[in-house]
Amino acid sequence: MFNSFRVAMTWVHTWLGLVLGFVLVVVFFFGSLSVFDREIDRWAIPETRFEPQPLPSFDTMLRPIFERIEPEAEELENARERVGQALPTNLRLMNWSAYTTHRDPVLTLYAEYAVPNPQDPDDHVHGHVTIDPRNGQLLSHDQLALGSEFFYPMHISLHLHWLDLGYWIVGIAALAMLIALVSGVVIHKKIFREFFTFRPHKQGQRTKLDLHNLTGVVALPFHVMFPLTGLVIFAGIYFPVAETMLKPLADKHEQIEAREKGLPHERSGISAPLASVDAMVVEAKRRWARRGMPGEVGYLAVNHVGDRSGYVTIYRAGSDRVTLVGQAINFEAATGRVLYEEPPPTVISGIAEFLTGLHLQHFQHWLLRWLYVFGGLSGCVCIATGLVFFVGKRKQKHAAQGIQGARWVDALAITSVTGPVLATLGILIANRCLPADLANRGTWQEGLFGASWLIALAHAALRSAPVRQARIAPAWREQCCAITVLAGTAVVMNWITTGDHLARTIARGYWPVAGVDLALLGTAGVALIAAHRLRRQEAGSRDEAPLNAAPFAEEATHG
Amino acid sequence: MADTALRALAFLCALSGMSWVALAMESHWGQVREASTYKVAVAGRLRFVGAAALLASFAVGLRVDHASMASLVWIMSSSASALIVAITLAYRPRWLAWWVGGPRV
Repeated sequence: MFNSFRVAMTWVHTWLGLVLGFVLVVVFFFGSLSVFDREIDRWAIPETRFEPQPLPSFDTMLRPIFERIEPEAEELENARERVGQALPTNLRLMNWSAYTTHRDPVLTLYAEYAVPNPQDPDDHVHGHVTIDPRNGQLLSHDQLALGSEFFYPMHISLHLHWLDLGYWIVGIAALAMLIALVSGVVIHKKIFREFFTFRPHKQGQRTKLDLHNLTGVVALPFHVMFPLTGLVIFAGIYFPVAETMLKPLADKHEQIEAREKGLPHERSGISAPLASVDAMVVEAKRRWARRGMPGEVGYLAVNHVGDRSGYVTIYRAGSDRVTLVGQAINFEAATGRVLYEEPPPTVISGIAEFLTGLHLQHFQHWLLRWLYVFGGLSGCVCIATGLVFFVGKRKQKHAAQGIQGARWVDALAITSVTGPVLATLGILIANRCLPADLANRGTWQEGLFGASWLIALAHAALRSAPVRQARIAPAWREQCCAITVLAGTAVVMNWITTGDHLARTIARGYWPVAGVDLALLGTAGVALIAAHRLRRQEAGSRDEAPLNAAPFAEEATHG
Repeated sequence: MADTALRALAFLCALSGMSWVALAMESHWGQVREASTYKVAVAGRLRFVGAAALLASFAVGLRVDHASMASLVWIMSSSASALIVAITLAYRPRWLAWWVGGPRV
């Protein structure tokens, strides 16, 4: 079928890239946004625009709030359906937990409640509240945190929750990315000689191919590590053996591990008070400092709340490390006595934590965060130029044969490249324009996000018709113009609705909001330049004979 | 502040390293200087200095960050530097002449 291994790899690279490139560019784009998800949250929820706070006092502030948390109504309804009977008013409390980061000024507290008469013995429901840690005031639940609750889930699951379909699509796309990278390296004849090569003034397809190769090769370590670590992080979804075939073994392992650590696995059924958690926090910090790694609390959990078997686990915030959280110290809840101090990780678990932390990036390193954005956007450019190259290489031939394939691929490329940007701008503007007291405001915002993307799809389908004559689709230019207008509008709407214009946020040094505004203005500028260049190219392509099928011999080995 | 300065220095080392590695290639040397002045011995020295600058970038990074963090910063800085050098070679190649003794008229 293929004359050589390289030709076979070209086929694999082309068709895998085409089929899953549309998904990958979306995943890379929202992954790039997720690097600054908490900052986008601040832009979207103006009442949370204050500096991040350390974990407040558990004993005086957090505990009374934990005690008032109620299970989520939706989860209760689902649990009722699972057990097939009405649930009692007061469910038994299992655990409390609080997670804090150096970037999040608000603090979210979580509680877990046991479901009675469950089919699965671990069945439980959750409750949570978000508070202002400066005063313990509860914040409204009807606020969509655009970064962490919408863009980040879009990155990992595309918001397709049915049968975890989104996770599977993203996982398959990540696998395809790895295959495309390997096959891309195989078919790239001059990977070292053309490492720094970009020829923007060349005619034909060469410029697109140069940009595709350049963005793919220089950020190759990033492009390899992120799909790979993403697959590692969600391995439990793709291979759920610990929840299916090997569940008894996994449960037994959990029990033995808890016993070896001296941590009670089950409740005793005997009530016991909770000692001062603040004192435990002080002791944990003292122990971290003694190990030469002083730090703040990153995650705090109270297990088996109110029971004599209860214990408190305190993790160190990993803001100065790539690994997420670690160095846990476990205290007996009733007495505050140290039960178990986790030793430094083994080589294997250290590698696993590094790979997970590398992708989830909870660290405090702004340069590295921006470099991640660079890596993510390089991925977007690489995939987008691959799609554009695919169309450019075939549109002359398809035009001559009267086939519409190139036109529809181009329309889908537009939808997956400029479409997500437009949808993002749509939801940002909706966030600033919808009335604050609108019921289900978050749902409305999500709806407008989807509507913006659908409009981008319809527009791309309608305005890609010139591709049938081997010309450039005006939809690219028009959507770039729309991006320019909408990005500027988002900045202005933030100013009008909150008073936080750029001069003020920069003067205050409040970079979460200033950074989002500056990024929006940068996006507007890039889109404007792109629109201007596309206009010139369109004019050029109109002047050419439409079906003058100039051979693309130089690109014959690619795609 | 000292950390920021060290990180900036590490990035500058990566950028310089990638510039020298690029200029060690005949095609890119020709974009910056007369192609006829390209010498294999000079190219070898540029490659060596470029590699040393990249290593220096990592070493400076280690002074300011934990090793796990510094390794990531180094890889990503090197990637970003390579892209910056490529774009500079495409649009303003003469700017890179400053890495090989300044522009010659």
